[in-house]
Amino acid sequence: MSPADLCQQLLNAMINADRAGAADIVSEALACGFAPAQVISDILDPAIIRLGKMWEEETMSLAQNFVASKIAEDTLISCLPDLGTKESHKGKAVIGNIEDDFHSLGRRTMGLFLKAAGWDVIDLGNDVPAEQFLEKALEVGASVIGASAMMQTTALNIRKLRELIDREGLQNHLKLAVGGAVFNWRPELVSEVGGDGTARNAIGADELFTRLQAEVKGPGAP
Amino acid sequence: MNSYQRVMNTLSGRPVDRVPAFAILGAYGANLTGCDLRTLYSDAGAYLQAQQALQSSFGFDLVLAPFDFSAIAEAFGGETVWSGLQTPNMRRPAAPTVARALDLRLPGPGDGRLSFILEATRALAQLYQERVPVIAVLPGPGILPSLLVGLDLWMETVLFEPGAARNLLSYSGDFLVALGNALVEAGADCLVFTEGMACAEIAPRALFVDAVLPHLREILARIDGPKIISSTGGSINQTLDLLPGIPGVVGAVAGSRDDLVESRRLVGPHFNLLGNLDNLAFASVGAEEMQQMSLDCLQAAAHGGHFILANSGGDIPQATPAENLLAMHGAAVRYPATGRLQ
Repeated sequence: MSPADLCQQLLNAMINADRAGAADIVSEALACGFAPAQVISDILDPAIIRLGKMWEEETMSLAQNFVASKIAEDTLISCLPDLGTKESHKGKAVIGNIEDDFHSLGRRTMGLFLKAAGWDVIDLGNDVPAEQFLEKALEVGASVIGASAMMQTTALNIRKLRELIDREGLQNHLKLAVGGAVFNWRPELVSEVGGDGTARNAIGADELFTRLQAEVKGPGAP
Repeated sequence: MNSYQRVMNTLSGRPVDRVPAFAILGAYGANLTGCDLRTLYSDAGAYLQAQQALQSSFGFDLVLAPFDFSAIAEAFGGETVWSGLQTPNMRRPAAPTVARALDLRLPGPGDGRLSFILEATRALAQLYQERVPVIAVLPGPGILPSLLVGLDLWMETVLFEPGAARNLLSYSGDFLVALGNALVEAGADCLVFTEGMACAEIAPRALFVDAVLPHLREILARIDGPKIISSTGGSINQTLDLLPGIPGVVGAVAGSRDDLVESRRLVGPHFNLLGNLDNLAFASVGAEEMQQMSLDCLQAAAHGGHFILANSGGDIPQATPAENLLAMHGAAVRYPATGRLQ
């Protein structure tokens, strides 16, 4: 069976919320001699990209996205059993729900996908004050912070983090990714709260964080 | 014709003088009375005063019993976070696991701050009896367990441990029946159940059908009074055809992204539809645009009756200009209703 066929099967399992079926597909791929890295790059990654497109087209629910993130995590654990201890290759990302926001599902899903993509994710949890985001990012040397909010009222609290980053003169060293349902409904909120970028869903977080990190490390950066 | 007659006639398909209109205004009342939100959601007198102020300022066709799910989470042992900007929210659920949730003492409908909700409902019913309907909002049976264990764990349980999910639905369902009936006894004229699991953004139709629908039928059959299912702002057209016929359910709130014409096609001519103004638009558009959006809803869905102009989500944002609420109300006043009194 070709990687494309297996990818299609894995995607179907994600769409149908069939976690056990997905595990079987990954086991079969490994048993057939696919290297773990190839399972990730040629089977899991393309499935995730296609899933992201479906999410953008609003044909995926939160439940399906949740299962997909679990399947991605399961696949990574199968392919990279030392995932938890292995050094990440993309960099460090500090994520959390902004102060007063307690809707953690989207953030947790984003964390799983970032981890799956090779980021070292430091998840600060819910209700994180701006100061704590910045302190942790500086402590671990992250160049991207991901602040999540579900509601407009709490999304506006991200402004404090923007102001703090700017006040410390770190705007060229530390980028602010923002996300959550409200940013999809009101894209203008991204600039209103001072975000450097957003992704429509957890699956798109890797691309966003990679782009923002490149801006920090790019030739134009001080 | 007063608001009570207008709403009740609409729900039962009798003639009305105009289409009823209402916006979910809870915390917004504190803007008018200068009350802080902790007092608003703890003191029945303060809450009543805020609803009176809203009623006299905007004249919507309902008054709202306290819409505060954190009081439910609290009654089970969860922790609430208070904010100056929005209704209180659950900070921490009562139980970290489903097994622990099943060991929790089942609260009574008057425990903790739930007693404030019942007291405020009684006071509203007494003041507005048969003049303005009193609406109470409850979590839908399928989403209620998220208030006990958090949304993440509840979603994981529904998806991967159907047996445990059924146990928790059954356990929490008994509480919902008791609270729903207590609210009706306190004077609520209609109960709105916000069933997130019915929305396309939360769960696919098949999951709703398998994991939630049988439970929804069973629980709502045990609760008195007319009931409405709310989409909580999400798209509900994917499950809308399943709702007519559920015991006591007389209508549904369409989501702001649902096509109201399609909603009507899905439920037939005699089922009530409410909606479908976008909550966030209230704070971000001008009065003229708000009026046009309201007229668009009315033109799409009001011509055959059985329609109430309403917002689709929860509490209207605090930053909403009063002019926008008046523009919405004004659109309903000007729109001619089918079966209009001569």
